[in-house]
Amino acid sequence: MKITALLVLKCHPIPDGSDPVILANATDVSHFGYFQRVTVRQFIVFVGRTVAKRTPPDQRHSVQHEEYKVHSYNRNGLCVVGFMDDHYPVRSAFSVLNQVLDEYQKKHGDSWKGIQADKADQWPYLNDALSRFQDPAQADKLLKIQRELDETKIILHKTIDSVLERGEKLDSLVEKSSDLSAASQMFYKQAKKSNQCCTIL
Amino acid sequence: MNLKSAQGSSYRDRTQEFSSIAERLRKSLNGTPVANNGGIRVIGGGGSSKANGPRSKAAFQTEFNKRASKIGYGIHHTSQKLAKLAKLAKRTSVFDDPTVEIQELTTVIKQDITALNAAVVDLQLVCNSQNESENISSDTTTHSTTVVDNLKNRLMGATKEFKEVLTMRTENLKVHENRRQLFSANTSKEPANPFAKQRPLVKKSTSNASTSPPPWVSNASNSSPLFPRTDGESQPLLQQQQSQQQQQMVPLQDSYMQSRAEALHNVESTIHELGGIFTQLATMVSQQGELAIRIDENMEDTLANVEGAQGQLMRYLNGISSNRWLMIKIFFVLIVFLMIFLFFVA
Repeated sequence: MKITALLVLKCHPIPDGSDPVILANATDVSHFGYFQRVTVRQFIVFVGRTVAKRTPPDQRHSVQHEEYKVHSYNRNGLCVVGFMDDHYPVRSAFSVLNQVLDEYQKKHGDSWKGIQADKADQWPYLNDALSRFQDPAQADKLLKIQRELDETKIILHKTIDSVLERGEKLDSLVEKSSDLSAASQMFYKQAKKSNQCCTIL
Repeated sequence: MNLKSAQGSSYRDRTQEFSSIAERLRKSLNGTPVANNGGIRVIGGGGSSKANGPRSKAAFQTEFNKRASKIGYGIHHTSQKLAKLAKLAKRTSVFDDPTVEIQELTTVIKQDITALNAAVVDLQLVCNSQNESENISSDTTTHSTTVVDNLKNRLMGATKEFKEVLTMRTENLKVHENRRQLFSANTSKEPANPFAKQRPLVKKSTSNASTSPPPWVSNASNSSPLFPRTDGESQPLLQQQQSQQQQQMVPLQDSYMQSRAEALHNVESTIHELGGIFTQLATMVSQQGELAIRIDENMEDTLANVEGAQGQLMRYLNGISSNRWLMIKIFFVLIVFLMIFLFFVA
């Protein structure tokens, strides 16, 4: 379950032929061979641009590309594209995109609307997000909550098992203590008997 | 009376014959005074203004009665159909749902009811105009108003029944939906998959590129699993992608929302289960607390017994130890007696 790349692009509000402009880019190509990394990066840029171009405004799209899924979310012309593998849950993917989008809008406000050429500088938040959201639970609160709830349920099951054992032990203790009290009663009676009757011996 | 006879069977309108006979009779008994009761007045009205057509009182009355009887007949039919619909709606099961029949029946009944409504409104207008224009006895007016009211009430009753049947049917449908979701919770994820499966169908249907879809998807076996491709090859494939995406727009939004809703449901049910587990835990612990109390009582009992026994034994010990002194004394006395005895004998 990993994210390979996150891209933020500016799309033209009317889906005409103009290519979207890249505003921020973060890729993790470490698992490719050293010589293929550059090509891979270029291809990611290209596919991201094309997918963003085809995404109509205020729509979410997912495209299957070999063993990767490309998710895109276009909101008012600001488009976020993510390259994730098949195991990454789709919902978490979109919540990642949502978060990145919100963060970008918070940081840059509306300044992105004026940008016409690809920005080459890095946006550290995006890199940080890429590394953080490799685990989908980080991005998707629902998933996190579900996971924690499942763990809690397992713990509770174990607790109930141990409580049942405790119950059994308490049962045996009850029996033993009742035996003890019967025996001590017999002991008392015997002592009383041997005290009273025979004065000699 | 006309209504009752008209519901079950058709009736023959012999008013014309009656009026012609009356004419003949009148002509034959020319001087006979015309009695002032409703029937002959009707005849007179009918005979004198027969040429005027249905504007006459008799024809009016029969017209009114005809219409009323038709409406009553229609209402009766509609209520029969309603009963059938109610039976159908009651016996809907999860699997063989006679939806088509029910829909048909519903539409038919709706049309009937609207037509009957219009007819009753018409009838009421006719009745009012009749009351205003002509000078008839109060009995006839009350009779016609009562008839109209009766028909209206029956129609209202039929509409209410119809509404009840419809609500029952929607409730049944909801129950079946719930049951279906309960038993087949996995298939609710199906909406996500058909969109993955629909892509090949969509590709085939919107083939606007020359290259075929499979090489795009299953090219992993041919080329290396990495990205190095030429731009020219990817161009037509991405055109297909555009058409795919357009076809999948709405379903994807829906599936996204649906998956979120489903996740929320899951979370909610998990929390519910957790609550139940906690309750069970609390019950078990309280039961075991009672066990602990019993153990405690038993141990206290034992302690008391053992302490009592210990006291007894201490007393016994004291008794035994003091008894020895006594015994020594007794022996002394015995020895003294023996000495005296020996003295006496020897």
